[in-house]
Amino acid sequence: MIILENETDKEVIEETQENDEKEGEDFEDFEDEEDSRDIVVPGEVLTEDTKNFLPGRGTIYNSERTKIISLNIGLKQIRKNYINVIPLRGFYTPRPGDKIIALVVDKNPVKYKCDINAKDFGTLKPKNTIKRGKMRSFRGSGGSGYPQDEANIERFEIGDILIVKILSADRLNKPELTTVGKYLGKKNNGFVISIDPPKIPRVIGRNGSMIKMLKNLTKTNIFVTQNGRIWLKGEDIAHERLLVESIKKIAAEAHTVGLTDRMQEFIINEKKIRGIE
Amino acid sequence: MPLIIKDEYPEKLFREDGKRLDGRELNELRPIKMEVDVIKSADGSAYLEWGNNKVFAAVYGPREVHPHHLAKPDKGILRVFYRMATYSVFDRKRPAPGRREKEISMIISDCLEPILFLELYPGTSFEVFIEVVDADGGTRCASITAAALALADAGIPMKSLVSAIAVGKIDGKQVVDLSGIEDKAGDADLPIAITWYNEEISLLQFDGDMDLDEMTKFLDIAKDALSKIHQIQLDSLKSKYITLKEGEGEKKR
Amino acid sequence: MMNVKRIVSRIEKNYILSNLRKEERIDGRGLWEYRKFRIESDTISSAEGSADVTLGDTRIITGLKYDIGQPFPDLPNEGVCTVMAELLPLASPLFERGPPDEQSIELARVVDRGIRHADCIQTQKLCIKEKEAVYILFLDMYVINHDGNLIDTGGVSAITTLLSAHLPEGIIGDNGLEWTGKYLTGDDLVNELPLVLTYGKIDDIIFLDPNLPEELVCEGKISISVTEKKITSIQKSGATTFSIDDIKMLGKKTLEISQKLRKELNLLQYKTSIK
Repeated sequence: MIILENETDKEVIEETQENDEKEGEDFEDFEDEEDSRDIVVPGEVLTEDTKNFLPGRGTIYNSERTKIISLNIGLKQIRKNYINVIPLRGFYTPRPGDKIIALVVDKNPVKYKCDINAKDFGTLKPKNTIKRGKMRSFRGSGGSGYPQDEANIERFEIGDILIVKILSADRLNKPELTTVGKYLGKKNNGFVISIDPPKIPRVIGRNGSMIKMLKNLTKTNIFVTQNGRIWLKGEDIAHERLLVESIKKIAAEAHTVGLTDRMQEFIINEKKIRGIE
Repeated sequence: MPLIIKDEYPEKLFREDGKRLDGRELNELRPIKMEVDVIKSADGSAYLEWGNNKVFAAVYGPREVHPHHLAKPDKGILRVFYRMATYSVFDRKRPAPGRREKEISMIISDCLEPILFLELYPGTSFEVFIEVVDADGGTRCASITAAALALADAGIPMKSLVSAIAVGKIDGKQVVDLSGIEDKAGDADLPIAITWYNEEISLLQFDGDMDLDEMTKFLDIAKDALSKIHQIQLDSLKSKYITLKEGEGEKKR
Repeated sequence: MMNVKRIVSRIEKNYILSNLRKEERIDGRGLWEYRKFRIESDTISSAEGSADVTLGDTRIITGLKYDIGQPFPDLPNEGVCTVMAELLPLASPLFERGPPDEQSIELARVVDRGIRHADCIQTQKLCIKEKEAVYILFLDMYVINHDGNLIDTGGVSAITTLLSAHLPEGIIGDNGLEWTGKYLTGDDLVNELPLVLTYGKIDDIIFLDPNLPEELVCEGKISISVTEKKITSIQKSGATTFSIDDIKMLGKKTLEISQKLRKELNLLQYKTSIK
């Protein structure tokens, strides 16, 4: 039985399942294929047929435009006439709309500085931390309504774990974050692990299939985010331990086929071996 | 104070049977082993054994630049730190980095930069740390080869890998892959590296003497040897994944 | 990617602490259990002894080099052993470039004292000619990956390196310093097998072999070096306090655990056999 700390946790599960379909896209067709896709490395020639193919994600023309080559270590994928390389290793690049897990590392009166596992720190401004349910009174207050704003703002401390959304991010400016929104905000319990960001879609799976299976079998709450961080809370440490090991195994085998079924078998087996339900 | 066993160079660098002192032919490489993802704390890493050389390379990046004034507003910066452990050489090396290490760091950086897209990461830095824990001739080439693997392992977009090797002349004959003794006691040495996306030279140094014909031959035998090195690099990158076929669980360690 | 100074989140600290209270750790260990040791000796061809030791994911490669120099005036027939440690920036985003800092000095000194006060090395065997020429040994530890508890990893790598030693044996002959053609090995040099055990403390819970997340949330640590039967060196660090009963308990625990560990590791198997 999962003991939910509060309603928010329950909402979090459903929310993730909604997001899952979009985020699982990269590996969407993967499970259906009989063959695993080719593993390619930087500089590898993917095709010399530049009449029929175009360079997609993770690829580039050579200088004479006679070949398409891979930029990363990853899986070769052909979608219509685009050749893509789905990277197996890599770092997180913030994009507007992404939901991520942030760690507050510094603060001053005008902003919070957050570690978001990217090349830049993210900035969270107080105006983007308005508490849930206070939006109406904020708008209705007309002018600045300063004392009311104070009461409506959520305060965070260094060391807080926040689920945030990226408001804006580009090459030159530090990403701006917000905790205003459904399922966003501070987490008061559980803990966070990190995996390679490119493996995140695999943990979600096609149509959320992998994550649904993980949640049900290990009886844990899981929130998977784009910057490689995963928040989890289970019924006890034995379940949490099994879940962490399962996620690490998924990350290690992300390039193989039939993974969801294999993981299911693995977890069921391990539960027997460890004597947990 | 002198050491008990002296570091002396042999007179001849070829044996009676015509082979080199370690039994190799003129064009033969020393045994090479490469592995990626060996340092879990790093964003990417590689370990390389090349003859008696043992080199670790680790990549951290993209990340903030420290000290801040070194950051460039229009592109990322690449910093390479090549260091040797005190016990990696016959005569213990002092722990602090010396001029040779700083020079080699710069050469390695110049050699790696062409394959990266630094303009995509303004204001950030990529740091490559190289530690030679055992040295036996050709450490800068081993380091470049390992660093390229570590960058690929970190998932940083690259135009291609880079491979490096030292060719040279010993007792008048041109050979591939100089060992420590051959480097010290030989007539000439030429470290060279090639970036594979355009098959051009990104590292070139030479000490000794050669005529034009010898230079042409050096470049030819080097290109040949470098292709072999490149293949070993590619295999080591892929082998991490290929050992996991459908249905199997355990990762090769 | 990884930020340079790692701040530990509150929920992680709470998670670690609340589980420690139930005697649980995320990697499944008990409070007094070590992670797995992996040891390889004499791997560095340029060194006169070496060891590659991994504890969990913490890895240290140690090498032995020597020089011949003058002894200390008050110890005219004894050789000298100095221990150095480098926390390589490649091992962790927490390590910065530059000269040794507090953490690396602490690592070197704690390992050094553990060896010295156990009378581990037969320093008289390191004397070539009294008052004139003795071996000066350099035991240099390089951290290759940091996942907590550098001290215990360093301790095992240092002692294994000494056991794997193959120092050329020197004498003062007619032409000065000469090689006898033989070697001084671990057999000649190593007397005792000291082990150092490090405990972390959070709140009122004490536990053995902290991994990195545990180390970062620890309020204090204590390292205790022991031989078969005696305690030879103690180092407490961090701003927390330990009760007198705690210290008594840890002394006893350390002797018990180290005896078991000594048997398990069977370090004598790493002695070099060349003569």
